[in-house]
Amino acid sequence: MLNYIIRRTLYAVPIVLGVIVLTFLLFRVVQTPESIATMVLGPKATRQAKDDFIRREGLDRPKAVQLAHHFKNLLTFNLGTSWKSGRDLSTVFVEDARASLMITVPGFFVGLVTAVALALYQVFVRHSLLDRSMTIGAVALMSVPTVVYIIVLQAVGALMLNYFPASGFDWRGLGTLKFVALPILVIVIVNLGHDARLYRAIFIEEIGQDYVRTARAKGVSATRVLGVHVLKNGMIALITLTVAHLPALIMGSLLIENFFGIPGLGNLLVMAIQTGDLPVVMASVYLGSLLYVGSLILTDIAYALADPRIRLS
Amino acid sequence: MPGADAAPCEPVGTSSAKSWLRPGLALLSASGLLFSGCGNDPNPEPLRQTRADGSPWVVRYAGLSEDPRSFDPQFMYDQMSRRVLEAVYDTLLEYHPMKTDPYEVQAGLLAEMPQKEVSADGKISYRCQLKEVARFHDDPCFPGGKGRPVVAEDVHYAFQRLCDPKVESPFLSTLAEYLDGLQEAHDTVPPGGKFDYAQRLPGVEVLDRLSFRLHLRKPYPQIIYWLAMHCTTPVAREAVEYYDGQEHAGVRRPDFHKFHAVGTGPYRIQEYKPRQRVRLERVEGYATTTFPTDGFPPEKAEWLQQFAGRPLPLCDEVHFAIIRENIPIFILTRQGYLDGMAVNKDAFNAMLTPARELAPKYRERGMFLEKDVEPSTFWISFNMDDPVVGKNPQLRQALSCASDAQTYSDIFYSSVAPVAEQLVPPGLFGHDRAWRNPYGYDLEKAKRLMTGAGYPGGRTPGGQPLELTLDCAAVGSEDRQRVEFVQRNFERLGVRVKVIENTFAHLLSKQDTGDFQMADGTGWGADYPDPENFFFLLYSKNVPPAGKNISRFQNAEFDRLFEQMATMENTPERLAIVQQMNALVAEECPQILSFHKAYYSAVQPWAPRTHNNLMLEGGMKYLTLDPAQRSRLRAEWNRRPLWPLFTLGGIVAVALGYAVRWNRRLNA
Repeated sequence: MLNYIIRRTLYAVPIVLGVIVLTFLLFRVVQTPESIATMVLGPKATRQAKDDFIRREGLDRPKAVQLAHHFKNLLTFNLGTSWKSGRDLSTVFVEDARASLMITVPGFFVGLVTAVALALYQVFVRHSLLDRSMTIGAVALMSVPTVVYIIVLQAVGALMLNYFPASGFDWRGLGTLKFVALPILVIVIVNLGHDARLYRAIFIEEIGQDYVRTARAKGVSATRVLGVHVLKNGMIALITLTVAHLPALIMGSLLIENFFGIPGLGNLLVMAIQTGDLPVVMASVYLGSLLYVGSLILTDIAYALADPRIRLS
Repeated sequence: MPGADAAPCEPVGTSSAKSWLRPGLALLSASGLLFSGCGNDPNPEPLRQTRADGSPWVVRYAGLSEDPRSFDPQFMYDQMSRRVLEAVYDTLLEYHPMKTDPYEVQAGLLAEMPQKEVSADGKISYRCQLKEVARFHDDPCFPGGKGRPVVAEDVHYAFQRLCDPKVESPFLSTLAEYLDGLQEAHDTVPPGGKFDYAQRLPGVEVLDRLSFRLHLRKPYPQIIYWLAMHCTTPVAREAVEYYDGQEHAGVRRPDFHKFHAVGTGPYRIQEYKPRQRVRLERVEGYATTTFPTDGFPPEKAEWLQQFAGRPLPLCDEVHFAIIRENIPIFILTRQGYLDGMAVNKDAFNAMLTPARELAPKYRERGMFLEKDVEPSTFWISFNMDDPVVGKNPQLRQALSCASDAQTYSDIFYSSVAPVAEQLVPPGLFGHDRAWRNPYGYDLEKAKRLMTGAGYPGGRTPGGQPLELTLDCAAVGSEDRQRVEFVQRNFERLGVRVKVIENTFAHLLSKQDTGDFQMADGTGWGADYPDPENFFFLLYSKNVPPAGKNISRFQNAEFDRLFEQMATMENTPERLAIVQQMNALVAEECPQILSFHKAYYSAVQPWAPRTHNNLMLEGGMKYLTLDPAQRSRLRAEWNRRPLWPLFTLGGIVAVALGYAVRWNRRLNA
């Protein structure tokens, strides 16, 4: 397995380097130094201010030199500072990742438990009218864009029912929950339809296996078969799917954080794109690609660990 | 598919149902606990509950659409930073909150308006005297943590900072044109070198502890307005030296002062959490300015009289919530957690009737509607260097006549934005309400002018449709709709218009390089309320890269009038020149005037506005509210019904019941 991990890690290197180059081309080559300075400093910025900015940020140097400098900084995790706030990006990313995790991790686990529970319930009442209705409901849930859920939940949860704030965030111990409740609910609902259908299919497949028939023949109760044996075997597939969610958990959600005012990494990225804060955008993309590549490797390892029949070679 | 044919599970025993009961109850209890701790108020507890005299602590809740860029007065120039800093730093002069037509400035940190002096050799200077009571806020940067009086040396220091390349002030290039020695001081610093703060600026002469004199290179009456901007506000040298490059709260930054303001105004920054909020707290003992005693608008005069001469600020705390999206702003205002909002396009139909009145639902709540017209003008620019549109005034006039600005305002600004008849917006000296653009919307006239321009029916002499290009900034669907509207307007003349979509930054670059024929969506917001700040956009010496004359308009007569008008005081003679310039610009038509930006604001019943001055960024220190009414209405508007919880519980119970029944049926 070690050989496999080393090989996969080496494969990942050109991918990450490719991402760095593409991001650089997109933001530093396609756009002129002039337009970058205008985007950052605003339309009323004077010529002198723009020239100073271009010189200070090295945008007037040859592109190859800029790219080499960019490579060196990213590979040594010197992420630099934000052009807008002047804050050190390493600090910003750590702080903002906390806020992102505050909604994504509970959202993920609540969503997982809910989807598994619904899928088990559907398997339990399978082929009934309720099962079919729930499947139709799941497809309907999958068909609605995220932004609609956000607006509807803000309108219902915050405006009509007055249960939760429509926007805002604060670290207040347990009081933080009220700020993250609606975003978590959105994350759960957005994924619920897809996940419940997928898990149902996994469990349905498991319940037709020989070991289930054997367990039932030995007198194990149906709920125990479903809740222990089927769930346990189905979890192999679930674990591997879970690991693939890791980058999204850490990098946050662009839309949800933006609409609910959660100061997480997703919100940071949206703001950086809108304001031309290129160091933030490029560092976000770089970290995202590292996480993505890393999670793919972890997924393979998780497969092997969860199912001894799988050999990584 | 083994699963598809799998047999249903056998019945579930009652023991299973019981085993579900415990986690179910635990979940219910947890939900109850969570619910009891919830509420839809996102605002934190106020900094205090009562004032020193025991009266209630009054908090004003407002929104910022993005983070402030900096709290350094010599550096910041964005709107969000200005909104915050206006409350934290007083300026030497400030806009009279009540006088908006025309706008007027009054003394702020200065004891009185600057005295203009003309020397024997004709050089102009302004003598200024600071108020004795003006003080910097208490801060650890001062000995004993106690703030000290503002002195003339602080003004000199502020101007030195403008010249310091490290501060990166965007104001230097403009001020250096008029004030002696600024550019020279800036140029003494070698690349990467340090500014020498020991050197004196000849343009800012310190006379005594509280007096100073500004020496101008040439006549520039607009310097008065620059003294109402934050770039010239005094800054404590101790604060900059204490915070820049030193370690504070575990952070060492060369520009720490950019985010740590030691101000002179009625509020101090108590908390700034990026992308969350800025909280300001009143400064005890602040006495630099008071509520005005004159200029009250007649419809509010009686109510405002109670505040006349009162100490400022009227509220104890200002809470700026940083909210980027429109819908949460609308929801929070409806719930009473914001004290007012600009009625954005997402909330327009919900809050306003087709007659542009507040919807009955909001009227019944006691809310008010205020209309704000910004001192700004928007237009479509012609490139006067272009061989087709630049050399043919009748073609430009025809296109101007084809441009239906009123319908544009109806569609994209819900009829709120008034059609621009002249470059100078309302509220500025020189804006003439009676003036009508002779090349305003008139399609028949446009067609006649096309014939005169040599393009009858929009055709070239060769019989082909005239092809024009229109550059625009299009980053969203609404931008495309706007430019398509303009395109259709022009194409009614028979011409073909090719639209080129750009990012905003790229459009600005093209305008600077002259790489366009017509450019849509260009405009200007007043830096200061003077016609010079708008007409300079057409002055020949301001063609890029020197300035912002993106039309590249060059007209000797216009330049002569501009140079004459720019240095004059506001007199009837100046007004006559402005009118002449209006007529000349209309005839030459280097731009198609479109609209002045305007919007409605919904104001809560407990927070009626004391002023409508848009040269102020909120004018927070003058705003008041009734906290008791707010508490009462908030409680009334934010009741939490319990029926959804019961409904949800019911659904879960039904689902469980269904499962049990399903098993019994199978069992049977």
